[in-house]
Parts: sequence; structure tokens; C-alpha cells
Amino acid sequence: MTNIISIKDVFYKYPGASKYAVNGVSLDLQENEWISIVGKNGSGKTTLTRLIDGLEECESGTIEVDGQVMNEDTIWDARRKIGIVFQNPDHQFVGATVEDDVAFGLENQGMPRDKMVVAVDDALKMVDMQDYKKRDPQSLSGGQKQRVAIAGVLAIKPQIIIMDESTSMLDPDGRKTVINLIKELRSQQKLTVISITHDIEETQLSDRIIVLNSGKVVKDTTPADLYNLGPQLTEYGLEEPFTNLVAAGLKDVTSFNGYLSEKGLIDELCKLNSNM
Amino acid sequence: MDKLIIGRYLPGESLIYRLDPRLKFLITFYFIGIVFLANNVASYAFLLVFVLFAVYVSKVNLSFFIKGLRPMFWLILFTVALQAFFTPSSHPIWHWAFLTLSKEGLVIAAYIFMRFVLIIFISTLLTLTTTPIEISDSIESILKPLKVVKFPVTQVALMLSIALRFVPLLIDETTKIMDAQRARGVDFGEGGLIKRIKSFVPILIPLFVSSFSIAYDLAIAMESRGYKDGEGRSKYRVLKWSRRDNLTILFMVVITIILLLLRSYK
Repeated sequence: MTNIISIKDVFYKYPGASKYAVNGVSLDLQENEWISIVGKNGSGKTTLTRLIDGLEECESGTIEVDGQVMNEDTIWDARRKIGIVFQNPDHQFVGATVEDDVAFGLENQGMPRDKMVVAVDDALKMVDMQDYKKRDPQSLSGGQKQRVAIAGVLAIKPQIIIMDESTSMLDPDGRKTVINLIKELRSQQKLTVISITHDIEETQLSDRIIVLNSGKVVKDTTPADLYNLGPQLTEYGLEEPFTNLVAAGLKDVTSFNGYLSEKGLIDELCKLNSNM
Repeated sequence: MDKLIIGRYLPGESLIYRLDPRLKFLITFYFIGIVFLANNVASYAFLLVFVLFAVYVSKVNLSFFIKGLRPMFWLILFTVALQAFFTPSSHPIWHWAFLTLSKEGLVIAAYIFMRFVLIIFISTLLTLTTTPIEISDSIESILKPLKVVKFPVTQVALMLSIALRFVPLLIDETTKIMDAQRARGVDFGEGGLIKRIKSFVPILIPLFVSSFSIAYDLAIAMESRGYKDGEGRSKYRVLKWSRRDNLTILFMVVITIILLLLRSYK
């Protein structure tokens, strides 16, 4: 596996702040990996992704995106490879209609119009929103808006998608569609997904979880390992997953060996049932 | 807000909708110009027939246009009354102190009234049949020659289309803020003028603050999507000039000629 992003000793302080928002972070993120970044509010998650996209400039340390060190000249190359879906769908729409918005990133690249029409259609098809092409974004639901935002990001064919709490303002249904969509897209294309989230279900899907606390990486591990920690999770601003709670409730009857996914839990319970 | 017709768009399919928006935009201004050429009953009647014909072709219900007149009602009445009572004449029909009512005055008042109706109808027709974004595209394309004098046409056009795109969002935001303030006991539209103005402070401040935060979020989102400075961008939306646009120009030339003939006919 090749590294798509490597971060070395990055420090960043917001102007006027006394503490470092990102305090000496070093990370290697691999191609096609799904990475969740978790942590309490103000732990530096969003700042870290902004640094990766060059929206903020780091004070010291280097960030490499796809083998290129980020600096003034390479920023725009990096941004072509990275797509960010932000938290509030209302605040990231540029276009007056759905298709205009999806085309915005392509217009910035100077793509000729006939190619753009095809690319916009393809991107809208991927998120299953082609019927809403001519609609005004204000008339869509939250989940639909977020899907259009994802289409706008997909249209530029990025290698990395950053989801900056993109599902936090959606209802459970909208959240599920967006997560499933990302899951599907990652299996089809060689996408790297970096997702900042407080949503347990989302972290369970990832290959790797990075826990940040006051700008430092305090844990970098798989979901299974992290969720084995049990009640200690609350220290990192996470809840225990549903399966942990079920396992805890059943501890008088039986004890499972460590963290289980939902499917794993069902299998275990079936096994128990057949043993009886 | 629902009562305001001017500036609203009504979705439709008729011929007027399919005309190039640049042409519609220019024709509207051109028409407002030639309205002032009309100088007798025949020419005004002719322009009225033309406007009613345009309304008929647009297939938009006439009642929308009459509603469009409503916000201007007092202005029209005031101007018409001034013209009617203050036109000096040697054969007044009625005279009292400084007010004079004469046949000439009444005729001029009627002309002024017609001008208002014609101008309001034609501009309502433009906004009812053209989406705001088409209007901003037309403005961009009409302003394009100004690039020669270093006027930032593309940036202004983007600014316009973002502004238009945020109008409904900010209206939503305003209603939300008003409801929230009402829930905490602010009374809008009650009391004297000063009190009413004061009660708008708790709307305006949060609205400005949230507009700034929306602008900040949007700027970050635009930058992350590769927006640099408007140069080297391609355009997804294109305006297409077609044969019917040429025919419309021809039609307008004919209208102008007829108008000029009627004008000199006494």
C-alpha cells in the first residue's frame, strides 16, 4: 500500500490563540483507506483537515499529498485531488441550481462545456440525484443537499474525500444514505476517505480510527481495538457502540471475547442459541 | 413577501420564456425608452396593444400584471393628480385657488398614467418570464465589453449569482430569527415609529452575524473546490441565440417604425 498523505511534525496555531490547535501531529494515511478522525470538540480535527487541503498554512512540519510536498505552488494540485464535504449543506452551495453547483468545481478547472455536461450527469447519477438537476438547492431536503455536495466533489474525480462532520446535521435516514453512498463509492473507485465524525456507526465502518485530543494524536488503531476499551471511550469524546452495550447487558449470562460488530454479535448469539 | 409580484419568477414554457434572456433584458430597456416617444392617443393605444400582445404571447395570466401595479398605486395616483391639477390652461373646466382642471391637463395625466402602466407591465413581464440567474447571466454578457476598462465582469457576475442564490436562504434565516425573538417577547410592528425601528435591532444583528458566518463557510468551500480568482474558468451555463431572437429584433424594428409614423400623424 502506498501513502497518499503523509504528515510530519505539523504544528498550527490560530492567530491570537495561545495553544496549538494542531500540536505536533505525524500521520501516514494510505491509499483506499477509510480513516475516521474522532475527538472532543476543539481537539483539532477540523484544523487538521484544513491543513491537509491547504486552507490553512502550517507553522512548521510538512504535509505531503500524493508524493508532493504542500506549498504555495502545489496547493491547487492538492485541491484537485482532495474533495471536502462540509458540515452545513446550506453554506457550501455556490450554484443556483443543482447542476450549476455540481459544475462549479469543473468550471474552476476550465473544463470545456461538452465534457462538463457529461461529468455533471455522471456525478449526479452516482448519488442518484439526476432527477433533481434543475432544482433550486433551497427546495431539497438536508440529505439530498448533502448528496449534491458529494456529487460536486465526485465530479472533480478526487483521490481523497474528506467528510468534515458531513452527516452531523442530517436525520438518521439521511445519514444512512450518505454513509452507504460513501461505502459504495469507495468499493468502486480507489478513494481514500477521511471522515471526521461523532457518529459511532460511521467509525465502525472505517479501517482505522485516529483519536485526537488537544491537537495531539492519542490513539491510532482499528475500531475493534478502540472499542475494546469499553467505558474509557467517553474520555475520547466517543460513546460505546451498541454492540458493547448489548454485551454489557448480557454479562450475567455470557461473556464475549472483546468488541463485536453488529453482524459478529448476531453470529455469536446464534451460536449460543444452537449450543443450548 | 408573497404579495410582491415585481422580481418574482413564474415557471412557464411559452415563446417569451424561450427567448434569449439577454434579448429580453435589452428589449425591456429599449421599450422603456420608446415609451417616451409616444405623443398622441394613437401611439399610446398602439403601445398598449403591443404590451397586451406580449402578455398574451407569454401565456401568463393578466391578473399577475395588475397585481404588479398595486405597490405603485399611490405613486401613480400622486403623479397623475399633480399633472391633472397643475397644468396651466387658458380654458379651465374648473378652477379653485391654485388648482386648475383643464382638458389639456386631463389628457397629459392620462398619458402619464399610460406610461406607468406600460413600463410596469413590460418590466413585470421580464421578471415573471426570466429566472434571476438568467438575468444575472445576461448582465454579465452585456457588461462584457467593460473588460476593456479593467472592470471585473466575471467576479461581479459571480457575486450577483451568489447574492441571488442566498436571497431565499436569508429570508428563511430572517423568519427563523424573528420567530425566535418573538418567542422571547419582542413585539414587531407595534407601537410608534421609534419603537418599531428599535425592535428591528434584535433581527438585524443576528442576521448580519449569520450572513458573515455563511460567507466565511462559503468562501472556504469555494476555495476547497478550486476557485482561484475567476480567471481561466469555463462556463457551464450558456446562453443560446436562436432564429426566433432575430425575428424578435425584426419585430421590434417594425414596432418602432409604426410608432414613429403614428407619432408624426396628427
